[in-house]
Amino acid sequence: MRQAGIYSGVVSGGRSGPHLLPLARIKKIMKKSGDDVKMVSGEAPIVFSKACELFIEELTQRSWTVAMQRKKKTLHKEDVASAVLATDILDFLVNLVSDSNNPLDLAPVERETLVS
Amino acid sequence: MEPMDIVGKSKEDASLPKATMTKIIKEMLPPDVRVARDAQDLLIECCVEFINLVSSESNDVCSREEKRTIAPEHVLKALEVLGFGEYIEDVYAAYEQHKLETMQDSLKGGKWSNGAEMTEEEALAEQQRMFAEARARMNGGVAPPKQPDPDQTIES
Repeated sequence: MRQAGIYSGVVSGGRSGPHLLPLARIKKIMKKSGDDVKMVSGEAPIVFSKACELFIEELTQRSWTVAMQRKKKTLHKEDVASAVLATDILDFLVNLVSDSNNPLDLAPVERETLVS
Repeated sequence: MEPMDIVGKSKEDASLPKATMTKIIKEMLPPDVRVARDAQDLLIECCVEFINLVSSESNDVCSREEKRTIAPEHVLKALEVLGFGEYIEDVYAAYEQHKLETMQDSLKGGKWSNGAEMTEEEALAEQQRMFAEARARMNGGVAPPKQPDPDQTIES
């Protein structure tokens, strides 16, 4: 029987339940992420599913903090962009949010040269 | 890779389902807060980019360990390297729970058992018994058939 106590708090974070993103879709994205991607185990997308959930939660939360500082009740693209620019580990998104914001073509960043 | 492939919008055959993503987003926010469509779309694009980033790193980790298949451990290591180390605990717990649930499903062995395992013959016998009971009930409630033939099929 499923033990509700131990895991439910961790996994669902007190929400209605875990949201599993479609594993096949995740696997597809993984395979397209590079030219020489190795085989992906069946379990790797499961790990990604949770990681994505946490990532979206963090980004949403940070974006919302920005929106609140601007005294707004609706989350806008600019809030997401500001959150990205303000967070080191989200550097990889800088081009993505800048491209959305202004029509100028910024020089694309090669993924392989990302500095961690 | 063409420069245009790097731009988020142009390459996506595979994106993440909007409904699920929206749900996750909304649950992080107070109920009266709204999310503009462009913000939603951007969040989804960021998530796809996140997968790309972590996948690349996982691929590298896998190569360094001279393995041929990207395994969960490689992904966890990649998360740490990229600065998402605080995700590792929750991610690992979710992974463990999933394994547990999957294992329980395969141990159950089908719909019939509630812990007690029934062989196929037993299940079949059970089914016949239930049919017989149902037939008996129907016979009891209906006026006796005109023909005395005991094998008459009851029309439902």
